[in-house]
Amino acid sequence: MFADLLIKLALAGIVFFGVLNLAGLHTWVERKQSAVMQDRIGANRASILGIRLLGLFHPLADAVKMFTKEDFVPANGDRFLHALAPFLSVFFALVAFAGIPFGDRLILGGRVIELQVAKIDGALLYVFAMLSLGVYGVILAGFASRNNYAMMGGLRASAQMLSYEIALGISVVGVVMTFGTLDLQEMVRAQGATLGGIVPRWGIFLQPVAFFVFLTAALAETKRVPFDLPEGESEIIGYFVEYSGMKFGMFFLTDFVETVLVACLATTLFFGGWQVPFLFPDGFHFPWGAAVPVHQWTYILLGVGSFSLKVLTFCWLFMAIRWTLPRFRYDQLMRLGWKILFPIAVANLLVTGAILAILHPGGW
Amino acid sequence: MPTLTIDGKQVTVEPGTTVIQAAEKLGIFVPRYCYHPGLSIAGNCRICLVEVEKMPKLQIACNTPVADGMVVRTVSEKVNQGRQSVLEFLLINHPLDCPVCDQSGECDLQNFYMAYGLYDPRFREEKVKKAKAVPLGPTVMLDAERCILCSRCVRFTDEISKTGELGIFNRGDQAEIGLYPGKELDNRYSGNVVDICPVGALTDRDFRFKARVWYLSSSPSVCNGCSQGCNIDLHYVLDRPHLANGARVMRVKPRHNPEVNQWWICDEGRYGYKFIDQGRLRQVLHRGTEISWEEALGQMAAGLSGARTEGKQASVAVLASAQLTTEELYLVRKLFVDSLGVAQCSAQVPAKPGTSDDFLMKGDKNPNTAGAELLGLMGSDPARFDLIERALDGQVSALWVFGHDLVELFGEEKVKRLSEKLCQLVFVGSNGNGTSRYAHWVLPSAVYAEKDGTFVNCHGRVQRIVKAFEPLTDSRPEWEILLTLFRRLEIPVPWKGPEEIFAGLGAGIPAFAGMTYEKVGLQGVHVC
Amino acid sequence: MRRKRELTFWERLYVPEIIRGTWLTSRHFFRNLFLHTAHRFGLLKGIPAAVTFQYPEQPRPLAPRFRSRHRLTAREEGTPRCVGCMLCETVCPARCITIVAGEHPDPNVEKYPVRFDIDLGVCVYCGYCVEVCPEDAIRMDTNILDVAAYSRDGMKLDIHELMDPALRKPLAECKLKFPHRCAIHGGGERGSWEAVYNQTGSDPAGSDPIRG
Repeated sequence: MFADLLIKLALAGIVFFGVLNLAGLHTWVERKQSAVMQDRIGANRASILGIRLLGLFHPLADAVKMFTKEDFVPANGDRFLHALAPFLSVFFALVAFAGIPFGDRLILGGRVIELQVAKIDGALLYVFAMLSLGVYGVILAGFASRNNYAMMGGLRASAQMLSYEIALGISVVGVVMTFGTLDLQEMVRAQGATLGGIVPRWGIFLQPVAFFVFLTAALAETKRVPFDLPEGESEIIGYFVEYSGMKFGMFFLTDFVETVLVACLATTLFFGGWQVPFLFPDGFHFPWGAAVPVHQWTYILLGVGSFSLKVLTFCWLFMAIRWTLPRFRYDQLMRLGWKILFPIAVANLLVTGAILAILHPGGW
Repeated sequence: MPTLTIDGKQVTVEPGTTVIQAAEKLGIFVPRYCYHPGLSIAGNCRICLVEVEKMPKLQIACNTPVADGMVVRTVSEKVNQGRQSVLEFLLINHPLDCPVCDQSGECDLQNFYMAYGLYDPRFREEKVKKAKAVPLGPTVMLDAERCILCSRCVRFTDEISKTGELGIFNRGDQAEIGLYPGKELDNRYSGNVVDICPVGALTDRDFRFKARVWYLSSSPSVCNGCSQGCNIDLHYVLDRPHLANGARVMRVKPRHNPEVNQWWICDEGRYGYKFIDQGRLRQVLHRGTEISWEEALGQMAAGLSGARTEGKQASVAVLASAQLTTEELYLVRKLFVDSLGVAQCSAQVPAKPGTSDDFLMKGDKNPNTAGAELLGLMGSDPARFDLIERALDGQVSALWVFGHDLVELFGEEKVKRLSEKLCQLVFVGSNGNGTSRYAHWVLPSAVYAEKDGTFVNCHGRVQRIVKAFEPLTDSRPEWEILLTLFRRLEIPVPWKGPEEIFAGLGAGIPAFAGMTYEKVGLQGVHVC
Repeated sequence: MRRKRELTFWERLYVPEIIRGTWLTSRHFFRNLFLHTAHRFGLLKGIPAAVTFQYPEQPRPLAPRFRSRHRLTAREEGTPRCVGCMLCETVCPARCITIVAGEHPDPNVEKYPVRFDIDLGVCVYCGYCVEVCPEDAIRMDTNILDVAAYSRDGMKLDIHELMDPALRKPLAECKLKFPHRCAIHGGGERGSWEAVYNQTGSDPAGSDPIRG
């Protein structure tokens, strides 16, 4: 019992450590990647003892700044809700990671350890539930600020998040039907096989349409450019206009955590999670018959490495899109969500259902 | 009477009138440098050239007498060419000093060059150098290079001030104005030569370099320096306090009024404006400590109301001032004499007469003595002169003083004793003086430039002073102080400001019957 | 007027255009990333990876017409060329110039600024003062851009800093010889014309300051 608790704590610690660091690193990536894309150099001045290290100290400087800044609450704002909102935001974004499997089961001293913080049968539902709860943080922030602009921003944000959740959910239902499970660990395992022995049986190949719908809706869910209307960093005022210091920092952090989360989901659902092509628990089995046996530890590490690599690639992609596309207008945003993504997702669902009905006439 | 046509308009004038005067009558402006309506005609600048039919050459408008049937054109190609050539000659030796010249901005050379000149200069030779920045006297600085030898200043000293200090010396392009040997331009009207100088040759040493003329705002007023009441324009700057260490009024210029001062003003009046910005009282004081207006006026009113209810009017005395406007004197009379029944209320003090002459300067240095007289505040009763003695005897317990310097009038010793003896010594005034040092109460008031009102000059002419700018912080015009006292004492008065008070004056005092600010205008009217 | 162009079907699909855009930015990204990395190892130094100027170590080249912080030009003997005509004070749309004129001992100069302050916190750098000056006495060619201070007063330049652009606040001592109003050591009038002319040994046109 005690050992189980310890193991779970360790897993949670690893995930937290990884996610928070990745989110922190995102602020650096954000600056540097945009700079390199735009033929600039990017922030490189923060230094410790004269060491600049490519501006890697900027996230640290940011954190110090955020914590030392004045924590401002509007005169008529609701102090409690004002403080609660950023916590809710960041909390739900973080706990969602509990459902994400980042490696295959590890057998250690006769004990089977799933490399997933919480082994939940309906992990997908859990993750989506947590993702949906994040909207409370947003609308509370707008409400508690007692500022009309913040309120409008909060309403904009919640409308957007609710709208895109529908497309997001329906696009994922196709994937669920394909793999026949809501358990993300099982879903990843199901992607371990190959199609015709060559192509990995990843979600992207089975559900390409769902992938694009998912990607778009997920971007909207993270409230990043080109879907950053709720925040509107530069001009249209957003729900956290009355936030400063670390409370603002938490909203900022939530954005990056959600980006990582969405990258994790995309990896898990469509890119085989921790799967490495042709790698099975006992080693590589290539289509041409060659086989390379690997040790169990190597296998696990390769899996975790593969998962991480895929997540980082998605993070990079999201960042690239964020610094490439201009922002949507609100009507365009709503039209895209309701009139394009939603019908496509439904159509994808129907087609998937039909194909499944043909392939498995007797059902599962 | 000859009738002539100028620019197509017919005008009939007295025989002997000159063309420039006839044109003036029609409202047609003819440029001039040497011509000045207040001086004799010299006819040497030649800028006033006009075309007269049947005369072969252009004529100078200033010295051509009108004739019946004359047809004059002040604007034509020929006239403009003539004036352009005249300007070209006048400007040959004129230095390009405009940026540093104090006249720049109000200079007739600049104005007429823009109107009639605008030629390409053909003068390639060296300009004749002459003395610059030569003080002619305590008030006037000469720049001989800038002079165009119009001789207005020379004629002024000959004809108006009759002192004759100035003359034109040397010949040709070496000619320049200067002082006769052993003389100095130090007569009482010397500042006027600066006003009449059409160029920057004579500049005012007091105004010199202080400000550029385009910074100045102007407000019509009446000099408060003596009972002549010369009409003036106050030139002030409110938005550039650095120019003269925070002073607002930069200079005083005479305003033309044919009935009072014509075009002139004495130097005493011209340079007597400094008290407006210097030595002003800035705080309501009660025995040396600052107090708010509301509290001070409340206590004043309480004191007066107590005297009224206890029937101790005889213990209150008021020394009003002929420096106050007629409106304020009327309020003083209404409040103290008519409403409270104070018998000892007078504007008369045993002041020594100042310098006077037979032209503009009067010995009585108060601008509104006649007004006070018309309101019955100058009473000839000699008993009033011993007011101070009676106060020292203990017959007076409260004394109100408006602006007077009792120390100067009665000596420091007496005022000191007075201050100890009296229960209440109230000083209402704009500038600190001996009285304000010994007064128990000091109520800072506005100067004449900061309030509306009227003065009656020694010839019985009612003239307007116009508020140029707001009173200094925490000083209030006397009429406002008095109206507040009326309100505090719950004596109903129907007026809210000077204009209404003056209308009330017009209704109540026969000498001012039917007068309003509109009727008085800026040139004033005689009392009835 | 440029009218909105009708999008083609391919463009209306949106996704290909997004890919095209992302491809463009990604190309820059990878190219620059490669060059940055190469530069780290001392390679390909000739090909720049960024257009950034590392200000302040590497100042940006300024155009010759660039309007930077003001200065007052000087005569040979070190007094300002300014004749205190106040035309710049007049023309200044921001009203940031404060001039008090004084009498110059040379009657041909007449005026000079006893006080000449520019409040850079108010200045809009329009350059009208330079344009209007009849004496070429004020210029905006110091190439000083880093005008910053911790207080509003710190943004106010007086005649010392304007005469010598190298001076920086707070000024410890006053080196100006001619009479001027000086905030250093109190705020009274400092300097004398005798000091100016004795130092340089030159004589003004009229050695007698007031000729009469």
